Amino acid sequence: MHYVTVIGSGNVGANTAFFIAEKGITDVALYDIRDGIATGKGLDIMEAAPIRKYRNRIWPAKTLDVIADTETVILTAGKVRSPGMKREDLFEENRSIVAQLAAEIARLAPHARILIATEPVDLITTEFARCSGLDRSRIMGIGGCLDVTRLRYFASRELGLSPENISATVIGRHSDAMIVMLRYCSVSGLPLTTLLSEEQQRKIVEQTRRAGDLIVNMAQRSSAFYAPSAAIVDVVDAIHMDLRRVSCVSMLFQGEYGISGVAMSLPAVIGRNGIERVITPKLTEEEQQLLRSSAGQLEKILQTGDER
Amino acid sequence: MKKVAVIGSGNVGATTVYYIAEKNIADVVMVDVAKGLAESKALDFLHTAPLRGYHGQIVGTTEYEAIAGADVVVLTAGIARKPGMDRMELLKTNVNIAKQASRAVARYAPEAVVIVVTNPLDVICMVALRETGFALKKVIGQAGVLDSTRFCYFIAEALDVWPGDVMAMVLGGHGDSMVPLARYTSVGGVPITELLEEKVIEELTARTRSGGGEIVGYLKSGSAYYAPGASVAKMVEAVIKDEKRLLAASVYLRGQYGYRDIFLGVPTVIGGGGAEQIVEIELTEEESTALERSAAAVQEGVSLLESFYSPGTGDV
Repeated sequence: MHYVTVIGSGNVGANTAFFIAEKGITDVALYDIRDGIATGKGLDIMEAAPIRKYRNRIWPAKTLDVIADTETVILTAGKVRSPGMKREDLFEENRSIVAQLAAEIARLAPHARILIATEPVDLITTEFARCSGLDRSRIMGIGGCLDVTRLRYFASRELGLSPENISATVIGRHSDAMIVMLRYCSVSGLPLTTLLSEEQQRKIVEQTRRAGDLIVNMAQRSSAFYAPSAAIVDVVDAIHMDLRRVSCVSMLFQGEYGISGVAMSLPAVIGRNGIERVITPKLTEEEQQLLRSSAGQLEKILQTGDER
Repeated sequence: MKKVAVIGSGNVGATTVYYIAEKNIADVVMVDVAKGLAESKALDFLHTAPLRGYHGQIVGTTEYEAIAGADVVVLTAGIARKPGMDRMELLKTNVNIAKQASRAVARYAPEAVVIVVTNPLDVICMVALRETGFALKKVIGQAGVLDSTRFCYFIAEALDVWPGDVMAMVLGGHGDSMVPLARYTSVGGVPITELLEEKVIEELTARTRSGGGEIVGYLKSGSAYYAPGASVAKMVEAVIKDEKRLLAASVYLRGQYGYRDIFLGVPTVIGGGGAEQIVEIELTEEESTALERSAAAVQEGVSLLESFYSPGTGDV
């Protein structure tokens, strides 16, 4: 039987398993280092199965050995932000968790696809790629695709139209420095830039940049998890059904726009093997500069950590 | 689009909203008195809309006015029992919350069907009925659907069959005192009494009774919400779409099954009008005895309630 393994059964991990069950994509092994959490949440989801007609099983994994037979590993383990924190503030703590897991995953599941949701996602994706030594096509961070769903929502609200027919592209860092490519956003093919005023465009870009912070500050004790889980499951679906869907994921750069060695989001064709093809849209000089300076910042944070 | 108000935005409330959004059943208003909680979760759902194709509105607020015109109000607000807290303390707190919410419902959503989820369920139903002054069929408690789905799942697991093919009916109060009707429980139409040994059915029944406790035991802090949310959403959908589904629900009895003036879980037709019809089935002696025990447990809770509560007065 095919299954994915979700590491970390907090809000994002448990809801990812839940969305996978809802969509009937595949079985899920749910793991958490804390005793009982994966069992409790897995059982709760399965007890909804008679009502929701789930065809798959969600089962708790006692040890990480289950990843040896898994198709996809979804990494959600780690601390989340509290109000006032930047995503980078989580790096030191979450980095050590990921470094350990990367080695384990490389040993047990060298052929699995790895989705990373642990924050700060670009840094963690970079760290994972470095520590695991796995091919970059197998490692995808949930960055741009989450920004994209938020942008689509804000655009739909501004337009008064259903979000379903809106498509969008967000590249670069999953942070304030994200690059929202408005000229690549459209409604049923019509460019968004022709449908919204410049002021409206500025507004939805700003809302997208601040969307994650806003929820952390409102909720006080947790960060967003519904939209992040939905973004993860969208990529899982593309992999398991071999949809070859274009999605913005954080990936290790290997010379794109002259950048190498750090992970940021770019559009990519996602299919059975993970990243099937990287798409490098034509960027303005300004955008390229922003992308390079983002890469420099990431590199700096990584080095500061290395020296410690 | 019809409108559902969910009062209380904890895990059960929020997960109920999730199921409603997924099926595009209705517009949703989430109300929670804790500032930021309903707002943040509503926004997180809206960010999900493009991916999942939601087309209803989802609003989060601290203000009860926002429930105006709701077709269904789901009451999930309340505190959970913490270690060391006595039953009376929990009861008083949740009765007070239910009072406040019910008065708001009467004022802003006088046409609504109220689905109560807050524990102790059968007692809080009574408070909601008195405080809203609504017709009896407009106040329904969710308990039996959850107990049934757990029972169905455990049976599916034991038989290694698809959970969607198992159907079950349970009676009585929620949890410890529930009465599963094994002879009316079937897999693809075949009674489980023909598929499982009596001893196994008893084990599964016991596991269902303590189904909520089992999950609390694993989670240590917090309790179940995926299966509870799914159960509530099923009832909401039955009302919104006027499905006239036969479900186990806690309803006010006036002589049915020999009980009067208490809320107790019995088979009920749920549709646009609320609890449209109570279905009386013949019970074996054993089942009747079990139901009696269940009713006694509910009555005990109501007596506790009467010791400090009179409708429409006291602090809110």
